[in-house]
Amino acid sequence: MGGLPTNRTVNGFAVSPENSKTMFVVMRDGLFKSTDTGASWKSVGNGLKNMAAVAINPKKPSEMFLSTLDGTIYVSADAGMKWKKQQ
Amino acid sequence: MQGRFYFWPLMGMLWFLNAGAVQGQENAGLLLSAAAQDSHQMNMGDKKDGNGFQHVHALATDAEGRTLFLGAHTGLFRSDDRGRSWKKVALTATQSGFDMMAVTPDPKDPKTIYVATHEAGVFKSNDGGTTWKEVNNGLGGMDVHGLAIDPNTPQKLHAAVREKGEGIFRTTDGGGKWTRVDDGPQGEVKVLTSVNMSTGMGGIFLYAGTSTGLQRSPDCF
Repeated sequence: MGGLPTNRTVNGFAVSPENSKTMFVVMRDGLFKSTDTGASWKSVGNGLKNMAAVAINPKKPSEMFLSTLDGTIYVSADAGMKWKKQQ
Repeated sequence: MQGRFYFWPLMGMLWFLNAGAVQGQENAGLLLSAAAQDSHQMNMGDKKDGNGFQHVHALATDAEGRTLFLGAHTGLFRSDDRGRSWKKVALTATQSGFDMMAVTPDPKDPKTIYVATHEAGVFKSNDGGTTWKEVNNGLGGMDVHGLAIDPNTPQKLHAAVREKGEGIFRTTDGGGKWTRVDDGPQGEVKVLTSVNMSTGMGGIFLYAGTSTGLQRSPDCF
């Protein structure tokens, strides 16, 4: 278990449409990924903070979207590893 | 009280529950921040001002992955260019600025979308978000903080109602009628999602992101 900051608000959650064991959590501390239904978590998305929500394209699960609390959108083309600010 | 103190943590995931959390601490900060921004004028299209969202609660694509829907303190927004530009979506003729807590597309039908609001319950669209109707029959309260749709049976949804009429409510007919089924997780629910994972007891798991962390429970209560 572990890997998520404790006593922190979970703002957003998304699960892979391809594999239900793969899921994402967003919070003020950033973006976290689990591949074991939530038993363990790794911080991904280098340095992104103040996250409000996360979404996965159901037709193309490698494509993901993030919104910060103030509405800045980030897009990933590799299932959440690298993120680019949407221009 | 069984649901609150027993079902979610013990039947679900004691290992996720962050005991001893200082509830509401972070939320208090968020509320203050939102209130401070309330006086700012809406400024659509100004990236520096976060598109006038003030505070984002939810983000989802439709079942085809074409349209992004964003739920914010100032209302529901849609983008057809992957989040570059946003248009506000009116839920009713008179009121477009509901505080949107959840956006829950039907995973099989791209035309069907549900949203949950802080003050007016649950709305449903059958035409891809153009027109909306309230679907609150049987819902205990109008402050809905989470809305989960069953990925296998999209007519089945769970709603997390906060404060007045608080609890988890279930519909099995796409919002036609809601029934209270559980007290729900500890803390303030921020997001509620049905995960396609068998519990071995005839249901699947509901995951709740809350002010005290991530919790889960079988949905067959």
